Amino acid sequence: MTALAYRSYNFLTKRQSGLLVVIGLLVLLFLFGAFISDRFSSASNLLNVFEQSTGLALVSLGQTMTVLTAGIDLSVGSMISLLSVLLSGTIDGEASRVLPVCLGILVLGAAIGSLNGLTVIWLKVHPLIVTLGMGALLQGVTLLYTLGPAGSVPFEFDFVAYGRVAGLPVGAVFTIVLFILVALFLRYVPFGRFIYAVGDDETGARLMGLPRRRVLVFVYAFSGFCCALTAIYLVGRFGVGNVYTGQNYTLASITPVVVGGTLLTGGRGGVIGTLFGVYLISLLNNLLNFMDISTHYQLIIQGLIIILAVSVYVEKKRAV
Amino acid sequence: MLTLTSISKSFPGVKALDQVDLDVRAGEIHGLLGENGAGKSTLTKTIAGVYQPDEGQIEFDGEIVHWAAPGDAKEAGIHVIYQEFVLFPHLTVAENIFLGNERRGGLGLIDYAQTRRDARELLQRLGVEINPDQLVSELTVADQQMVEIAKAMVHKVKLLILDEPTAVISGHEVELLFKRLEALKADGVAIIYISHRLEEIFEICDRVTVLKDGQFVAGKEIGEIDRDQLIALMVGRDMSELFPVKEDDTPPGEVVLRARDISVNGRVHKASIELRAGEITALAGMVGAGRTELAMGIFGGLPLRSGSVEIDGETFSQMKPALAIRKGIGLVTEDRKGQGLAMQLDVAANVTASDLGAVTQSGLINFAKEFQIAEQEIQEYQIACRVPRNPVATMSGGNQQKVIVARWARTCSKVLILDEPTRGVDVGAKTEIYRIMRELAAKGIAILMISSELPEVVGMSDRVVVMREGVITGELAQGELSEESIMQLATQQEAA
Repeated sequence: MTALAYRSYNFLTKRQSGLLVVIGLLVLLFLFGAFISDRFSSASNLLNVFEQSTGLALVSLGQTMTVLTAGIDLSVGSMISLLSVLLSGTIDGEASRVLPVCLGILVLGAAIGSLNGLTVIWLKVHPLIVTLGMGALLQGVTLLYTLGPAGSVPFEFDFVAYGRVAGLPVGAVFTIVLFILVALFLRYVPFGRFIYAVGDDETGARLMGLPRRRVLVFVYAFSGFCCALTAIYLVGRFGVGNVYTGQNYTLASITPVVVGGTLLTGGRGGVIGTLFGVYLISLLNNLLNFMDISTHYQLIIQGLIIILAVSVYVEKKRAV
Repeated sequence: MLTLTSISKSFPGVKALDQVDLDVRAGEIHGLLGENGAGKSTLTKTIAGVYQPDEGQIEFDGEIVHWAAPGDAKEAGIHVIYQEFVLFPHLTVAENIFLGNERRGGLGLIDYAQTRRDARELLQRLGVEINPDQLVSELTVADQQMVEIAKAMVHKVKLLILDEPTAVISGHEVELLFKRLEALKADGVAIIYISHRLEEIFEICDRVTVLKDGQFVAGKEIGEIDRDQLIALMVGRDMSELFPVKEDDTPPGEVVLRARDISVNGRVHKASIELRAGEITALAGMVGAGRTELAMGIFGGLPLRSGSVEIDGETFSQMKPALAIRKGIGLVTEDRKGQGLAMQLDVAANVTASDLGAVTQSGLINFAKEFQIAEQEIQEYQIACRVPRNPVATMSGGNQQKVIVARWARTCSKVLILDEPTRGVDVGAKTEIYRIMRELAAKGIAILMISSELPEVVGMSDRVVVMREGVITGELAQGELSEESIMQLATQQEAA
């Protein structure tokens, strides 16, 4: 085997084993759907799925980063809700406020995320608990701020969701570009490597003098930033932020990460697997709609998928 | 290169280091010796910047230093190879070697081609054949150790500290390691070498420093001292006391366990062995000869491909651990942490784990009774623990081993198998374990001891069975026992 072939083999079978699986499933699902319904495989439906996957993709991108460090962010749902009501509540129909408020929301998202990371470091509490608590806290703040839809955004704001450039949905294309940039960051910037190292062996990373704390703060801040992007997209799509806008995203954001082959124990996986995981889930939900299966069943299926996916990828006992 | 002056470090309840002095020169291999709990690890971590000393001064490379974090010490050229390697299993060899010191191209991005080339060159310089693109989790332990050394070379190491490097590798690999260390020494690197194996200390070290109970005991040139003196310094005991004398010379009793033509898992081929009441039988051989697998087959931890185990007049073609325990067989595994002990539980819970019936009343655990038993065993086996309710994780390796032996001694009435019972255990605890083995044998229990340490095999056993590559190559009675005769059987060639 040549060195290059060995490396590709290594990459696909050991480090990104999820990638092949998830792409394979995506193809199978597509063929199955095309067989069942003509409209399912039509370009307009696929573009529609592509466009609607944006919210899930953005929040899962941040989630992937926390999971790579063997952490998790369970505050994403509430954070999206809070940021979305703050966004439309503060813009309140004024076109001139759109840009500054959006920037402010992005900074706020990153700041709340940093707080998650800092709490994990300071209090030495598992991220599961820190972010679960943070989620409840943020939901409370949201309900103190408003009990229903807050404010409004100018009509043109729906561009972030429905706008098309060269026939493609703007938000979805932006999302793909962002995923690719993050993938390159993880592979080619040393700090990206440290994220994997911290997830693989946190004690080891500390003994080697790697910037463990900075890594943790960064991934949670990035997750918060992604929540802000998701909130902007959702407000664009629905025209207003609501107090439970983000609610379903907490569990939903973990499924594509796991399906895409990132280990919950950290240190292995990547964002491209997550992106295909998002498409897989979105396509599946779309297909279920076509088959007239109620959303209740979709929730059941989602629960089963996440358990199954984790069980498939659980690492066998290491040799030696 | 490194001079420590009056270093002290306390943890809640323990003074781990008390006014320790140490000086290590460039281009020497300096042995650091002491029993478990003598403070070697704490000292290592203090040098590496993991701990900050409470008092005292560290001078490195001509400067007085105060390290706040491991990164500072690494920056200065100190590299520690811990017993548990600091390697990231999901990264490749090359990525591990340059972690934290990435080879960069334009824009400060990682240059993978360069990383690979440099890794290959470093590994070549070490004279090992390791593919830099392999994941570290796929390497043998010996190769992982080489990757650790390669990492040290990236950082232009000035002081290399190795903590028990030979605990995880065997014969030939040890020789290779020593060659690398000699080469590094010739390059002017200062090396601190920690090991329990005194033979190695004499083979490779130029000077030694001995610690005891957190205090500096002695610093000597290796030529000024012999093995017995060294042991005396470490424990304040004489070498001849290491192996307790067998008190009475009663001949061994009847055969209690007979294994016939056992094959296990491709690692053991048609091995037969008999164990007699009151006799200590050693199972000797090189690492990987199939000794552990044979023991596991007898105990039921691994399935038997062929053959049978006869105990108590009953013959079984397959054993199961639960059955083995019922029949009075006990097994002290090689890997204490993984298979033997519940590290977070206390001594009492661990001692009674295999014998819960004795402390259960109406289906509930009687804690007072459990505690009482634990105290009894702590006395009986001289287990050193400050509080019986402390988790065993806080105890030294030797004491953990005593807890396991105590547990099995409660339930096993016929056969006790001990797999490397004194590995990673200090000299003092070794003697204790030997004494316990003798006592159990005197009570009529048949003991099977797997050991790679020849002095221990010769000093302790009544009879030795030797294995090589899954086959039993011979048996030696007490009169014929010597390290040479065992080695011959353990390494003999097919034709011989």
